[in-house]
Parts: sequence; C-alpha cells; structure tokens
Amino acid sequence: MTKAVRITVDGASLLAQEGQSLTAALMMAGVSAIRKSPTGEARGALCAMGSCHECRATVDGVRGVRTCLVPVKEGLRVEREMKLPRLPLESSPGGEGGDAPQIIETGLAVIGAGPAGLAAACVAAELGMKVVIIDESMGPGGRIWSHRHDPPLAARSWLERAREAGVLKLQGYSVFSGQAGVLDVARVTDGKRVRIQCQSMVVATGARERFLPFPGWTLPGVVGAGALQSLIKGGLNIAGRRVLVAGTGPLLLAVARLAKESGAEVILAEQSSLVDRSRLAIPLLLSPSRWKPARQLLKALGGIERYSSSWVTEARGGPALKEVVLRTPAGDRVLEVDGLAIGYGLIPETRIAAGLGCEVETTGTVRVDSLQQTSVPGIFCAGEPTGIAGCEAAIDEGMVAGIAAAGKTPKASLLARVRRHRFWGQALEDAHPLREELGKLARDSEILCRCEDVTVGEVSEISSIREARLIHRVGMGPCQGRVCESAAHCQSLSGSDTIRPPWTVVPGENQDMSSAL
Amino acid sequence: MDRHHVIIIGAGIVGVSCAHQLIQRGSRVTLIEAGPGPGVQGATAAGMGHIVVNDGEPEILKLCLRGREMWRQLLDENVGDRGYWNTGTLWLAEDEEQMHGLEGARDRLHSAGVDSHTVQASELFDLEPALNRDLAGGLRIPHDGVVYAPKVTARLLSQTTEVESRFGTRVTRVGDGLVTLEDGTEMKADAVVIASGISLLDNLAGEEDSPWKQNLKILPREGHLAITARGTGILRHHVVEAGYQKGAHGVVEEAVACAILPRPTDQLCLGSSRRPGRAGAVDPGVLKKVIDRCERFVPGVRRLPILRSWTGARAATMDGKPLIGPVPGWNRTWLVGGFEGLGITQAPAAAELLAQRIHAETCTLDAGPWDPGRMPALSAGGRSD
Repeated sequence: MTKAVRITVDGASLLAQEGQSLTAALMMAGVSAIRKSPTGEARGALCAMGSCHECRATVDGVRGVRTCLVPVKEGLRVEREMKLPRLPLESSPGGEGGDAPQIIETGLAVIGAGPAGLAAACVAAELGMKVVIIDESMGPGGRIWSHRHDPPLAARSWLERAREAGVLKLQGYSVFSGQAGVLDVARVTDGKRVRIQCQSMVVATGARERFLPFPGWTLPGVVGAGALQSLIKGGLNIAGRRVLVAGTGPLLLAVARLAKESGAEVILAEQSSLVDRSRLAIPLLLSPSRWKPARQLLKALGGIERYSSSWVTEARGGPALKEVVLRTPAGDRVLEVDGLAIGYGLIPETRIAAGLGCEVETTGTVRVDSLQQTSVPGIFCAGEPTGIAGCEAAIDEGMVAGIAAAGKTPKASLLARVRRHRFWGQALEDAHPLREELGKLARDSEILCRCEDVTVGEVSEISSIREARLIHRVGMGPCQGRVCESAAHCQSLSGSDTIRPPWTVVPGENQDMSSAL
Repeated sequence: MDRHHVIIIGAGIVGVSCAHQLIQRGSRVTLIEAGPGPGVQGATAAGMGHIVVNDGEPEILKLCLRGREMWRQLLDENVGDRGYWNTGTLWLAEDEEQMHGLEGARDRLHSAGVDSHTVQASELFDLEPALNRDLAGGLRIPHDGVVYAPKVTARLLSQTTEVESRFGTRVTRVGDGLVTLEDGTEMKADAVVIASGISLLDNLAGEEDSPWKQNLKILPREGHLAITARGTGILRHHVVEAGYQKGAHGVVEEAVACAILPRPTDQLCLGSSRRPGRAGAVDPGVLKKVIDRCERFVPGVRRLPILRSWTGARAATMDGKPLIGPVPGWNRTWLVGGFEGLGITQAPAAAELLAQRIHAETCTLDAGPWDPGRMPALSAGGRSD
C-alpha cells in the first residue's frame, strides 16, 4: 500500500504518495509549471526520463535536480524559481581537493538497468564476474519495465536473477564522465560522487524520445508519449482526464493502452498512413513471438477514438494546455484535452558511448560487432543505442554483451536471434516514416531550444551546428541539445557537436554542506 | 586603378576586427575562413571573453588599454543580447605579499592613466559577498569587461558591409601577397593578412630551415574551462587570483589559477589552466583542479551544477608579445596573432595598428614592439623574395 506523506513546494505543504515520482506528485497537486524559462515562460516536464531537464527544481536545497528522477519521501522540500542561497563563506571540507569520491572496484560496469543492461549484468554475474549496474531512474527496469510496486512479469525473473547473482546496484546515479576502465557517477538527488573502476563496460543507455517543435509545444501539459507512460507508472493519476496520444510509432499504442487502463479518456493519433504501416505485416508474420502481444494490444485499444495519417499542428492554452489542433485527412479538428502526450519515435541514446570514445555511425547508432563489442576494446554496447529494435532485441543483445564481457562465446542461436531483431527494428522504422510537414510546423517565432529560449527564426540563416551553438546558444542549456537536436531545423545543419564531460548535467559536489546550514 | 585589395585569413575576432578596420580605410576585403562561419573556431570560440588591462610590460598595457577603449566605443552594454558587459576585474590577493604586489600594480596602472584601486580585505565582501573570508585584499579595475566573443565577432562582421566572406575554405600556402586555396586556386592581393590564431605560421611559404622560421614560432597553450547553469551568477566582477600572472607567463609547465567570469546570462565561466599543446579532449583531472582552485576563492563553486566543459588553445610567442606586422623580409603579407590570453582585449587595437601600417598611416601606437622582425636571430639574416 502507498503511504501518504507531506512535502513542501515553495513553502506550501501538500500531500503526496511515498515512492511516487516527484514530477507526478507535483502534477497531481496541479503544479504542472515547474520552472520558468530564461524569457519567463512557464515550463513543465517533457520527457520524464531525465533527458530534457525541464522538470528541474531545487530539492532539499540541491539545485538543478530532475524531479522526474526523485522518489517522494516524507518532508521533501521543493523550491521552484529559487535564487541561489548564500553560499558558505569558507571552503568546503577536504580543502582544495574536496571530498574524495567513494571508489568501487568491479569487473564489469553496466550503464543502464533496462532490459539490455539487466540481461548483460545477470549473465556476466552468473558467469562469475563482479558486476555493478548504474541507473539514473528511481528503480531498475528501464522505461519499459519501470514500476512502483510489483515489477511487470517479464522483468521479474531478471530482477530476481540480478539479486541472486549479487549484482551491485547504483540506482539513482548518473554517469557523467569517464574513459575505458573508469566511470565517474553522481547521485541524482545530491550530486554525491562515486568512482567506478572496472575491467570492462556494457553501455545500455536505451533511447530517448524524438521531439519535433510545433506551435505550443512548450506549454506545461504537453509531454512526451513515453513520458506519459513514465508519469502514470510514477504515480500520476489520470482517471477521468481526456488525453490525446499523438506522434508516431508502436510506443503510442502501449501508452494509449496504459492511459486507457488508468481510466483516462484516450484519443490516439498516428501520423503515418495505414499504407506505411501495412509494410509491417510480413515482418510480423515472420515473427511468431510478437503475435500474441500484438493481438492483446489491439484488443486493449478497442473502442478508443483513433486517427491515422493525422498529426498535431498546434497546442493552445496558457499557462496550461487547453486544446489541440489535429490535422486529419478530413480536415483540422480542435480537440479539448487535459493532456497531450506526443512523441515521434525513439532516438538511440549514444552520448555516454560517444563520450567513452566509441565510434558512432552517421545513422546515429553505436557501431558494434556481432559480440556487441564497440570500437573501444572492453566496452560493449547493447539495446537501443545500437539501433532501435525493442525490448526482445535489447535482452538478447544484453545477453550477448554480458557473455562476451565475461570472456565467453555466445551460442550461435542467440547471435542469430540478434540478427533477426535488427531486421524487425528496421521494419518498424520503415513502417513509420516521418512526413515532411512535421518539419515545418514551427513558425519562426516558435521556441526551438527550450533551455535557452532560442526561436526557429533565429537560426534560419545559418548552416552549421557550431554557429547554432556558439552564436545562437542552441543546445547550450542543461539538456545539452538532447531535445532540440532532432528538430528538422537542427538536422539540416552541417557538422556535429563533440561530447565532453559532463555527459549529463548533475548537481555539483559536496551538497551536504547546504543541509548542514 | 583597382581598389586596394586585402585577403584576410581567419574570421576570428582578430580577422574580423582587421576587416572592419581595413574596410573603413577603403580597402576591398576578402575574408577566408576554414570554419563554417565567423567567430566559431579557435580562441574566439573557446576563450572566456575577458577584456582586461593587464599590468604587464608597459607596451602590452598600452595595447590592452587601446583595445579596451575601442571595445567600449564599439559595444553598448545595453544592447539587447548583451554581448558585452562592464564587469570590471577584481584581482585577489591570498596574502600580504600578493597584496603588496597588487599595490605595485595599482601604482603602475595609475601612472599609465588606468583607473584602478586597491580593496582592503574588510571591504572585499561588500563588493563581492561570495568571496572567501580569508583573502588579504584585491585590486579593482572598474572599466574592464566581458564580451561574448562568438556573437560579437558575428555581429561585427554583419555590420562591416562589403566584405566578401568565404567560409569553409582552407588555405594551403601563403606567399608574399599570394594565397593558395585547398582547391588549388591562387589568389593575389595588395596585402594578405594572416589572422589564423595558432595556425598563424603553418602555411607560410619558404624553406623550413630559414633562420626567421626557426625563431618565429607560435606555441599553443591549452586551457580548460567550464560553465555553470543559469541562476548561479553570484559574482559581479571578473575575479582573478593575483597568482594568475605567474601562471600566464610560464610557457612550459602546467599552471592552474582561479579566474571566474560572470556571464550576463547569470552563469559563471570557471577557469583557468595552461599547459603546452593544442586543444585536446577535456581532461577531467585538469578540470577538477580548475574548479578546486576556484573553490579556494569563491567557496561553494564546487556545488554549482556544471553544464559544459571545453578546451581551447592560446597562441603564445617566444617573447610573450603578439606579432603585428609584415612577415620578416616580405612586403605584402602581414601577421597578426600570438596574443596568448589577451587576444579579445587587444583585437581592435591590433587590427587598427595593422591597418594603419598596411595603409602607411601614422600609427596610434608604436609599431616596433610587435614587429615580427624583432625576434633576435632575425636581424642577422633577413630574406628577400
């Protein structure tokens, strides 16, 4: 059972559930505007998985905490628009060297506790390796298996195996720097540093959602499709609310299903056409393991309002979302909604791999060989960073990586499965091509970079990422470009950005000083 | 007769400043830049952007002062995007000895006509409450400032009409009044200005063993910087430890000194480090030393979230002075570079001086100290082409 606890937001007390995600708790209390942008716009959670930093606030005196990654507990203090408190006037303990980080020595370090990471960690540990798994969310399982109480059936055996094999979990820690053999990680809530020294690594950092700017996309209440999934699992109650789930890809179906089962009135809009999606028929026929889940999914979605070849052209409201304009083959429809969950597919999250020096293909995936070995010896990569192919692929690739990291040879049948998954991933992508109109939705006055409030118009005449970054400040905020770089306006620019530490923005060190004041 | 034509190589803050000065003098300017746009490569892109009047050699001081004066005329603090901010510099002394040094600096600055005043320890905290309480005092130079160099460079170029800019264009060879591009194109001009930062001397024609080449060197010196998240602007001044000068003048060894620059965006830029070499990957160990050193002067800096870190390289010369003048023995190719950490401050003054020399005008500043022909071994054997 969940326990009701009290937290304070800007000094006001409110009730929340223990273990609920702090973002979900804030939204439940009607606080969907969590921060103000540099130009003073209200902003709320977008990705709900730690990428966009739109939900950041000062939590228990620590600045810049991503509230979507913080579990609620009694007495939590949240301050939104807080001025920096007076800093202590003496150097922090440890003098110039600071507090030495805690050091953990291990054989294998796995980054990410989703299906790929858990599978890699389990098999490597069962083969005798000492394994540490690092994950920045509230609990293990990654986005697909995230849960507050009972883990989903598919996750249970892996979680059990990890426990039995003695896998050490660093839950709620972000990897922000490192190289082959060393990872520096920081606790999400207070920046506490831990250094991990290891012989090998598996990078299993999953994917993030692709966001495309459109008029009104910065309104609080407009969240990612996967974000809605995470928020519901994190304790957001949407019963009785009217929610539009829009964008593209199979994730929309899972989100719509969860929203429906959570009591919401769901409308589903997919931008790809039926013709596009029919390309999936043959790959699906060839993939018997996917028949049952697909049938169940379609059954669960029965009765909801659905649109195909339809996409959101505008979200309206202020400060919160009120209505959405949906372009359908039958014309524009204005839908009154309480929430919009919108995502245009997934992007491999390759930043940590790139930061470690692993080669990333021009297609945006980490280059691996058949044993999931990257271009850096001793660093393996598994799951979505090597190409979006879903949960089953992630598990199998994770197993291959774990076995290879332990110095063993995976069975041929396992390797063959991995190859088939790649085929399935490609088929999914081909069945959901993004239509060109989506790249032109945002007018010149629309925000492109949400961190720095850079508009589309400001970058209309430049040709390179360097100019966008250095002169116009696109991607120079805490999301480091994770949100805006997938926009058509950025995709058309030449060059790329180098990945430098911190790979993820984390709270500063030695935060315990503030709580002592 | 055709209009006087100048080719400038490098669209950093120095090259663009040169274009600005030369256009004003009636030259036709072609600007060639390997990068995709103005101000996004090299030290212009990587530097902190401080405009400081340094208490170094009197000649260097003059160049800084003239540069600062020109920036202050050129830039308006109240212009919308705040590419410029009059922060002032606050040099910080850790002990009495350093404070004594700052007093000496103050006297020298005064005699050069630079407004500056020492700040006693007790007054330091009224000025900057975030500073450590155990500091011995400081020296405040109120008219120093900060520019955000990429933006200022881009803006200056957009305001300089008639420049023919060629971005994404690489130069492979430079002779006397001659430029060869990557695609083999040969260009001739009345003057060629090389303003390509640490690559200043890379493409000069001539035998490698000629004595002037042996003695004219650009020594790249890498630095590490980091920037904090918005909402952390706890300083008003650019604060620099007095020991910075020491680190800035050593050429060989690694040096770390506290230099914190507030940005108009309510962020802090944290520096600084120096070590020989071009800008490489961020070394987390060096970055940590930089932040720890900043913590010494502004306690709590370590607790601020860092958004990004990066490296850059300063172009130093053998004698610590920039090169502004013709390639030794040549008539039509000019060098402007080697500013170490003072390129942004000195850019307009150096550009003015160079433009004055190219157009054979009376120079505002003495040109002698910066002439590339000053290097000792050069006087022995010049060259003629």
